[in-house]
Amino acid sequence: MAHEENGHDHDHDHSHAEIGQTERPGYYDNLETVVRELLVSKGYFGPDEIRRQIEVLDSRTPALGAMVVARAWADDAFRKRLLDDGRAACEELGITFYDQTGLIVLENTDKVHNLIVCTLCSCYPRPVLGLPPDWYKLKPYRARAVSEPRKVLAEFGTIIPDDVEIRVSDSTAMVRFLVLPKRPEGTEDFDEVQLAAIVTRDTMIGVVEASKDIRRGE
Amino acid sequence: MTQTEQLLKRLPNDIGGTSADPISVVDHELEPWERRCHALADVLDFHKIINTEEKRRGVEALGTELVGKLSYYERWIACFANILFQKGILTPEELALKMKEVESRWDDFDKESTQAARS
Repeated sequence: MAHEENGHDHDHDHSHAEIGQTERPGYYDNLETVVRELLVSKGYFGPDEIRRQIEVLDSRTPALGAMVVARAWADDAFRKRLLDDGRAACEELGITFYDQTGLIVLENTDKVHNLIVCTLCSCYPRPVLGLPPDWYKLKPYRARAVSEPRKVLAEFGTIIPDDVEIRVSDSTAMVRFLVLPKRPEGTEDFDEVQLAAIVTRDTMIGVVEASKDIRRGE
Repeated sequence: MTQTEQLLKRLPNDIGGTSADPISVVDHELEPWERRCHALADVLDFHKIINTEEKRRGVEALGTELVGKLSYYERWIACFANILFQKGILTPEELALKMKEVESRWDDFDKESTQAARS
């Protein structure tokens, strides 16, 4: 949001989010402005809080989750702490949780493949991955991930052998999940930075497996 | 199950395990107002005005037809307004008056841009 306000003083009541906009906002865009400005004028929160929270949201990308996964791959003691208490281990790496959600990290192994979903809506480990992609929030994924995960995975090009169990974890308002993908073969010589580079968002949702040849785009 | 039975037993969000289309791997860059709406949701939660569960129930209370027709963040802002009415934090009248004012800001904007185009 390069055109959000920069914290300078102003005495007019336009939100700077509107500046730079070249056409009339739609009804729901205006409705957001209406609700926000009414609540600010009634003192429920400060005029700067939305902008600050947008900055927090913008600071969260899958690079954070990738850093966590890479550390777990490289450091077995950290991996154990991460599986024991996901939130505390992430906080160890300086990742703050801006909400009250817990985090459970699910480890993929040769016997188990994990997949995360939110059937009711869109709960997602936002502090470590940012906002979820649209497909995660739409009906086909939410409806089918829990009843036919192998078929769903196949639609992402991921074929899980029949002797590997698939576990699907359904997120809630308070408990979020993150998949710890399997470290791919051929990465024995990689350092943590190189490891983090191959951890994509989708590997941490569990719809694809990590590969040493696929790098995360930001 | 008859169609009304289905509607009664499953709220609009309760779709886990139902049949649906193949996955279409779609995404979009959030619009500025969608980003503001997401931040607003977080701030409402931080201040214990509307929490995540209330938001989900509020979306369900919009009913199947609206849930089906509104986009993701349209559902959120619509449910925030309704919940704030229910809690007595806002009134429909205040909202309508403020909406007129916010919309009128763009009357000036349109005039200015018309004048700018003429000069």
